[in-house]
Amino acid sequence: MALERSARPLAQSLRCTRHERIALPIRSFTSSTARQETETQQQSTKPPLDPFTVATPRLERKLLREQKKIPIGSRRRRAAMLTSPNIPFVELPYQCFQEARKYLQEDRTQKLEEIRVQRERIERLADKVVVDPSEQQKKNHRLRSMRQYLEELKILADINDPMIKKKFEDGQGDMNKPIYRHLADKKWRSHKRLLLMQRIEQMHVTPDVLAKVDPIVETTLSFTGPSRADRHRVARMVQHGDIVDSRVSEKAPTLRIQPFQKGEKLYTIAVINPDVPNVAADAFDTRCHFLACNIPVSPTKPYVQLGRLNKEQIVLPWLPAFSQKGLPYQRMSIWILEQPPQGELPAGSNDALPSKPLDVKALQENEKSSTRENFNLRGFVGHTKTTPVGVDLFRTVWDEGTAGVMRRAGIIGGDVEFKNKRIEPLPYKRLKENRYR
Amino acid sequence: MKAPSMALLRAFAPITHSQTLPWTARGCLAQQQKSNFSTTEQRQARDKNRGPKKDPRITQIRYHLYHPLTPRPLRFSRNRALRHWTIHRAWQRYLDEQRKQTERTLERQYNAMSAACEALRLVDAHGLTADERTKIGESNTKEEGRLYRIAMLKTGVWDKVPIEYGRIQTETPPRKGWNHEWTR
Repeated sequence: MALERSARPLAQSLRCTRHERIALPIRSFTSSTARQETETQQQSTKPPLDPFTVATPRLERKLLREQKKIPIGSRRRRAAMLTSPNIPFVELPYQCFQEARKYLQEDRTQKLEEIRVQRERIERLADKVVVDPSEQQKKNHRLRSMRQYLEELKILADINDPMIKKKFEDGQGDMNKPIYRHLADKKWRSHKRLLLMQRIEQMHVTPDVLAKVDPIVETTLSFTGPSRADRHRVARMVQHGDIVDSRVSEKAPTLRIQPFQKGEKLYTIAVINPDVPNVAADAFDTRCHFLACNIPVSPTKPYVQLGRLNKEQIVLPWLPAFSQKGLPYQRMSIWILEQPPQGELPAGSNDALPSKPLDVKALQENEKSSTRENFNLRGFVGHTKTTPVGVDLFRTVWDEGTAGVMRRAGIIGGDVEFKNKRIEPLPYKRLKENRYR
Repeated sequence: MKAPSMALLRAFAPITHSQTLPWTARGCLAQQQKSNFSTTEQRQARDKNRGPKKDPRITQIRYHLYHPLTPRPLRFSRNRALRHWTIHRAWQRYLDEQRKQTERTLERQYNAMSAACEALRLVDAHGLTADERTKIGESNTKEEGRLYRIAMLKTGVWDKVPIEYGRIQTETPPRKGWNHEWTR
């Protein structure tokens, strides 16, 4: 049989898979006649259509008609899959690869042993009774660093596994496991976070809104687009700092907040526009377009639909982003604030503390946090003891839809046009006929 | 009589016109490089209608790089790349292991040497430590550590080293140049 398999490619073109069904009388080194084999093959029923292996246009159409399935991968790939022995990746018979796997597995067992030892050490140290406060401090410090090392070891044990890498690249990683969280964090920090920080700094969101920010959660912003003919809505992803059409940003967006640390935490989300014109003072004010608290987010549940939050979570509901005619673009900065944890963990433990919920009622009654105009995020952060852990940005300009958006939202000023104050040229710079002298 | 130079003959001999060049590269022969080895950009006269003239070398490179006959860049398939990655990772772990072993050996050797020096420092000319001396009732501590002090002497360490290394080697010459007057 093995011999036959090796001989098959000679008799068959990869592109023309029809040959598969014509049993070619390949001469194999067996004592029985080849004819018998062909007969047995003819008796077998046709294999069911598989979206991974249909390779001819006819069969593809048939698959679509009968099973309502779309073939997966290119036709070339499917044709190749038809004849491949389909060995699982880890069992591929390449000597060097298998040796490497063996070595990595040894390394992994070593790491697991180290993890076990480290765990025991931590337990032993935690059980130790210390009276002196300075000794206690030393012990806590030691426990914390031991825990850190343990977390490192956990990642080192898994980071060399090709299957883990493959799964992560396919987006099937389980974010409950530290290794996938580590990989996701690495990936985010390698490019997306740099881009975000560039936009935030170039457009001076820091220090205009808050003095500084060091994002540790990934944010992805998307608005629901207009409904298509088949009544499906397509989410419109917004790049950090993109200018968004005012009709698109009329409805509250969906935020994907991806934390890379264990456990569910409560977050506060604030959308601040620091570019509101103040004509009287010839300056710019801030306006809060959205404020909601106590939003639970965990690594596995990152999506937050700002329009579908509970009444108990929202302090200020979504106000559409708008600009006015003649104004420069308005920066809409979105801030993810982590609420402070309840109590304190013993040093060296790895549990995630639940966050302290904020009192939304009090915030609604508080004049400072419930008025949109002149919202002071610095004051809010200090008052609620939250920490900024994530930021996102989009921009809005006056476009043809803004007047309608403002009218529908009941905002006055859709017909106002801002104009630069004309500065009269100095007499000697005027045109000749306008000169007095 | 002087033999005629072969240089001219070599220059025009048909054998030097290599026919082994790929036909896509034959344009290069006609388009000889005319650069004056300078890294600054060459300002060329602007054509009124078109932009600045393109460097013919760049044109040539573009032509050959994106020529349909240029084979596509070689890439691993996904599984192949993953296998490659696995092997690479294993090799790196192996090297790590080796490095760790070397470091440990060096550390062990260093510790052993410092322990030996310490032992030597505590010993007198007869090989007795202070405790052993008190045991046998002797109190002469004058000789203690003498062997150690002798072993640590640095005289003659630089004897075989060339004079150039008397000064620390630096990237730039010294302010005062070479001091020719200096002798050992």
